Formats: sequence, structure tokens, C-alpha cells
Amino acid sequence: MISYIIKRVVMMIPILFGISVLSFAIMYAAPGKPAIMNLDPEIPPEVRESQIERLGLNDPIPVQYVRWLGNVVQGDFGTSYSRKIPVTDMILDRLPNTLLLMASSLFIAAIIAIPFGVISATRQYSLTDYGVTMGSFVGLATPNFWLGIMLIMLFSVQLGWTPVGGVATIGAEFSIIDRLHHLILPAFVLATADMAGLTRYTRSSMLEVVNQDYIRTARAKGFRERRVIYKHGLRNGLIPVITMFGLMLPTMIGGSAIVESVFNWPGIGKMFIDATFQRDYPVIMAITMFGALLTVIGNLIADILYAVLDPRIEY
Amino acid sequence: MLNKKLLMLLGLALAFMLVLAACGGNDDAPAEDPADEPTEETDEDAAEGEAAAGGSVILGTSGEPVTFNPLYSQDTASADVIDLIHASLLESDENLELIPMIATDLPEISEDGLEYTFTLNEGVLFHDGEELTAEDVKFTYDIFKNEDYTGPRAGDFTELESVEVIDEYTVTFTLNEVDASFITRHTYGILPKHILEDVPVADLEEHMEYNRNNPVGAGPFEFVEYQDGQYIELVAFEDYFAGRPNLDKVTFRVFADTNAELLAFETGEIDWMILPATELATAETYDHGRISSVLALRYDYIGWNNDRAPFDDVRVRQALTMAIDRQLIVDEIMDGRGEVAHAPASPLSWAYPDGVTEFDYDPEGALELLAEAGWEPGADGILEKDGEKFSFEILSNDGNVIRRDIGVIVQQMLAEIGVEAQPRQMEWGAFLDQINPPNYDFDAVVLAWALALDPDPTAIWHSREIENGLNNISYRNDRVDELAGGNKRIIDQDERAAVIGEIYEILAEEQPYTFLYYPEQHILLNNRVEGFTHHPRVNMYKLNEWYVSE
Repeated sequence: MISYIIKRVVMMIPILFGISVLSFAIMYAAPGKPAIMNLDPEIPPEVRESQIERLGLNDPIPVQYVRWLGNVVQGDFGTSYSRKIPVTDMILDRLPNTLLLMASSLFIAAIIAIPFGVISATRQYSLTDYGVTMGSFVGLATPNFWLGIMLIMLFSVQLGWTPVGGVATIGAEFSIIDRLHHLILPAFVLATADMAGLTRYTRSSMLEVVNQDYIRTARAKGFRERRVIYKHGLRNGLIPVITMFGLMLPTMIGGSAIVESVFNWPGIGKMFIDATFQRDYPVIMAITMFGALLTVIGNLIADILYAVLDPRIEY
Repeated sequence: MLNKKLLMLLGLALAFMLVLAACGGNDDAPAEDPADEPTEETDEDAAEGEAAAGGSVILGTSGEPVTFNPLYSQDTASADVIDLIHASLLESDENLELIPMIATDLPEISEDGLEYTFTLNEGVLFHDGEELTAEDVKFTYDIFKNEDYTGPRAGDFTELESVEVIDEYTVTFTLNEVDASFITRHTYGILPKHILEDVPVADLEEHMEYNRNNPVGAGPFEFVEYQDGQYIELVAFEDYFAGRPNLDKVTFRVFADTNAELLAFETGEIDWMILPATELATAETYDHGRISSVLALRYDYIGWNNDRAPFDDVRVRQALTMAIDRQLIVDEIMDGRGEVAHAPASPLSWAYPDGVTEFDYDPEGALELLAEAGWEPGADGILEKDGEKFSFEILSNDGNVIRRDIGVIVQQMLAEIGVEAQPRQMEWGAFLDQINPPNYDFDAVVLAWALALDPDPTAIWHSREIENGLNNISYRNDRVDELAGGNKRIIDQDERAAVIGEIYEILAEEQPYTFLYYPEQHILLNNRVEGFTHHPRVNMYKLNEWYVSE
């Protein structure tokens, strides 16, 4: 197991390298230039030229890549073109907000989706099952930003229960209640898309399990149905679901970018969108690499969990 | 068993969160410190009238500020904060006329127009209590001239030869050549020499200790804190030389998105925001807010690629302008909030001409002009010349609803005279790349120019700017080049206005752009905010005079 993990971690290096080359190439191939290269009537061309020269943007792309890689290996992701501060600081500043949002939404997705998935599976083809299935597809089909705005309209504007955005009340002392109060809507919205998938996934996984021999054995022994399902069934049915969490991590970065904008949540998703529009290459690369890292780590965790939870699997 | 407990726990947690969401509503009122009223000021204000000291406002801002150092800022989010923290020699008033700020008066200008002498007010203090003197002014302006200066403004000071301290409160700027626009260069905030003199100029741009964490100026508000992605907090500077501001606290709240900003206004979480014209109808329904509108210092236009047929023919360009009902565009798209434009200027500018050639809406006349240029209707009703159809693309940037609508409405108007125009939108970065050098790949673009305080038209209309890109429509006119080249050397404003007016007349006649309109800009503010002055360029103008009524 340990040697397997080490092997996997070592394999991450060429994977991340490949991703960095590809992202760098795609980023430069996209039309448009960094915002600082844009024309500004108030800035004379020679001044702009010297700024561009100083940032090394006139060098051939492979040269720029090697320079970037050299710095990254030393832990330096460069300085944002548009914000003029070290990219690492920018990301570290906002990462806790994004992680908090992601973790809460995973939590919400799990506590809602898994019970519904189980109910849906144990009462297959019942009205409840159809209801849950229907609900899942509605959730899956509802765009995050739309749902977000609708919930803000309802809970913040009409009812006045929640703030329209932000992480905390400005100027107020730190308080957990205040934080949760700001967190609940965006976390719920971010959770909806995953909830739908997770429900469906739990349902099919449980369906497979409830038809297994050992469930029949458990029933034959005279255990109560609840105990059969939740103790014997769910335990095995959840294995593939838990691996889903590992795979969901990277997709949440994408989803959080939109939710962060709607709810004015100062996280890295929003920063990524801004950086893309401004072609702020160091920031784009840093967040892309972060996403890539999260993906490979998520995969690794999924595989490890799989082995941990299912003794039949060995690496 | 374990799973059952877990489920129960999760269920409890969910219920807990829901309860939180339901009952937490009350502690959400916008942060307002009903701060103590400073006694010595209250008396004075009471004597003046209604302005009550105290209170705070929260302003919405849509961008993340980059720097609070006035020598390096390039964006409005930064400029708004800078204007509150820093004080400058001069400022422009709401009529765009220069008025003294920390200078006692406008500068004395020598006979030959090369020397500008400013006298400073005595007792102007920085936030740390040090006095602002002529030394600080020289220190600040010497940075612009330093060869290590990395900021964007070096070009503004090419004519500046030297800055000389005459005495503690007198400073003289000497130019090497007459520059009529130089007077407008005195609105940069003055930096404190005693804090920054040991920082090498080459490192100043990224000297975040000052630029971002602890900027000190002599302006009406003191910097407290900047939380990335969230807010910037300022408090009144007790010893501001022109008197302590009425408000105790000003907070900028950073928004990612205009919808979110507008919702925050609706729920009373912010007091002030710049209102996009597209949201006017929504904002008009708010009982607790009011909208202030003034003409913006800018004009919107359709730029024709003068290097490309058929737009290289002046008659074609004139005909296109005549075929576009600009008043209808203002009425339909801008909700009537703007004026039809005829020249690349702004009615707000002193250089705005009394009258230029105007091309009114006249589709018949347009057809005649096009016929003269050789365009005749083909079998399908589309104009043709030498077998080529009159068909082209109108480009604008993605996400800009107004420009998209202009593209569509122009398409319909031109279809009526048999011209086929296809509107297309592109992402902003890609759009700029395509229309600017070295590509110049467009037929027509819908765009706008925000104008500077000085009306020098060189940067956009001189033919040498084709290569640099601001003249990306490749407009060439020798007379314009000649007049533009010399306009900054004319000190007398009336004489200069005449020269610039001649340039405007040529441009109005030749229609390298179809000048669409001079738009209004709108600010939405909570009714509790009083004493607001709407400045067309400076959002934070005279914020020290604002006060709040409860």
C-alpha cells in the first residue's frame, strides 16, 4: 500500500509537467494579450513597450515557459500582471474562503443526497423514487447562477433572512454565526448540482447492493429491514459513492467560480475568472496548476479510499 | 449502528443550519457606527446649516484596487480610493475647471509659458502629522522624471525639465518646451517624502508596504484596512487642512458582479454605486434611493476601417452616418439619456466647438451619395458595385448589451437602404487583439472613448498613431496631422480651441467614425446620503462634504 502511494505520488510529477506544458501552450494560443498590453489613450506606447519588455512578454514562448517553470520549482509563481502582488499571496489569501465553501457544499450535498439515494433505491419504481429522480434532474438542469440569483431574490431581498453576499458583515467582529449566515446560501447553491449526481449515484450503487446474496442472508436471519439496508447495505453501497467525492473536488473549482461571482464570495474561482479576462498569465497558470494538483490528489484519495473501504481491493 | 448515529448527526447538523438561516436575519443590518460626534466640529457645522457630522457610508465598487499610490494607478477602483487618501496641488471641479486644492491658487505661469509657480497652503498635514511642504511636491514630481520610474505616467512629463523648491511653501516647475496640457498634470496626489525617500524609485511600484498596506497621504480620509476581495475601510482624517470631513467612516465594498451590487443596494447594504444604463428601469423603482445623472466625459461611436473598401470612400462613410438614426438609438437604447454626437469631443470640454457639419438622419440622401460612389441596387435589393455586394460586419465586445443592441438596430437601419451589416460580438481581450495592430482585422467597430481633461486629439487622430494603435481605423489627413502636431504649443486657450475646433470640423466632415452620442452616466445613492456632488470624472469628488441623515 505504502509503496503504491509513493509510486502514485512520483507519477504525479510527469502528469503535472504535462498539464503545465499544455495549459501554457493553450493559454498563449488563445487570442488576446495581457491587459497591460492593451492600448490606453493615457499611456504612451513607449511606456507600454517598456512595461511589456520588463515582464519578458516579448521573449519566445518556450523561453517564457522555461523561466516560469524554473521559478515554480523554487516555489515562486510570479507576480500578477494586473495586481502587482505575488500570486502565491493572492491565492493563499483567498484559498480558505474557497475551501470553506467547497467543504460546506460537499457536506450539504452528502447529507441530502445520500439518504435520498438510499430511499430511492429501496423503494425502486415507487412514487418516492420517481419524485427523487425528477428532483435530481431538475437540480442537475438548474444553472447555478440562476438558482443563486433566485434564492437571493427570495431570501435576501424579499424575506431579508440572509445577506446578499460576502463572507462576513463588514465592520462587524468575527462571529461564527455571522459566517454561517453568509455561507448557507452559496454553499447550498454550489451543492445542488452535485447533489443531483450524488443521489443518482447512491441510488444505482445501492440497487446493486440490495440484490446481493448477503443482503438476502441478512433478511433471512430476520434482521429488521432498516438494519439490513443501513448496516449491511449502505456500508457497501457507499464505497463507490465515497470515491465520487475524490473526483468531485476539481469540478467544484469550476462551479465555485460562478457561485463566487453571484454571491460576491472572495475566493479563487472569482479570481480565476478575472485573471482569464485580463490574460493575467501568472495567475491563470497558478490556479490551473492548483486545479490540476487537486485533480490528481482527488484521484489518488479516491483510489486509496477504495482499497481502505473494500478489503477485496489490493494494490 | 454506527451509520445510524452518523445519519442522525448529519440530520441534526442540517436542521441546525436551517434554523440558523431562518433566525439569523436580524444581525444583518449594514455596519454603521453611530459614532460619537466630534464636539468641536459639531458647533461649526450647526452654524453652517444642516450638515451633521458623524455616520458612515458604504460604497459599492466593481473592481479590485491595485495600488493606493497615485503615481502608479491605472484603474478606477484604485483611483477612487486614492482620491480620498491623497491631496493634490489642483483638482477639477464638477464643471471640469481646474481649481486649487492644496495650492493656494492656480499657478503663476511665466510670460514664455515655461515656468509654473505654485504656492502651497500652510498647515497641510499628512495623516502621520508631518507637514506637507514644497519638498514633498518636488519629491513626488521628481519620481515621474526618474529614469527608473516604472509607472504609466512618464509620457505626461516629457516636457518637464526640473522642479525647484523656492521656499517651504513655493515650488516652481520648469518646462523645456511649451505644453498647454501641463496644467492638467497637477492632479496627482503628493507623496510623503519622509516615508518614501529611502525607497529606490525602481522598487516603488511594488513597494506594497506603502502602496497597499499603509498608504499615507494628506487627503480627507485615512486608510485603515484593505481586505482582498471584500472591502477597503477609511476613516475621517481629523486634521484635514480644509476641515474634518463630515463622515466618520467610508467603506468600499468590492463586488464581482453588477447584479450582486444592485441587490446589495436594494437591501440597503450599500449606499452608493455607479449605475449601468441598462439597470435604470430597475433602480427607478427603489423608494429608498435616488439616481443622479450627468453627461459623461466621453462619446460612443462606430469606427469604420478607413483602410478597407468601401469605407475608404468619404461619401460612403457620410452615407452610412445619414442612414443611421442616432436620435432613435439614444431614445430606444439609451432610454433618451444622452445627446446625439457630431464631433469627437464632449460638450463638457472647453474645446467643444460651437458648430460643426452635421449629418442628420436622411436615408434618401444616403442612397444618393452611395449612388454617386457607384453603389447601385442589385437583383436582391442589396447594393452592389463591380459585382461586389455591400456587406460587412459590425464588431463589438461580448457582454456589453448596449453595444450589441446598437449593432442590431444599425443592421436594421442599414438594411432599409440595401446595405447588409452583420453584428458580431467577441470576448474583450480577443476583440482588442483583432482590431488593433498588427491585425486591424475589422470592417466596423462599436466603441467609446473616455476623454482626458486636456482635449489634445493627437493620440487618436494623428496618422503616426496608426502604428501605435489608437488610430486603429487608419485615418490619414495631412491637415489634421499638422494642426494636431502643434496644438499643445499654444498657450492661449481660445487660440488653441480654434485650432482643435478646426480638427473637429475636418473629422465631422470626413466621418472616419460615425459619432453616435454623448452618454449620461448615472449614480445610484441612498436617500440618507446628502451633500453629494456629481462629478463627471471623479467619483469621490468632495466626499468630505457628504453627510448622512437618519
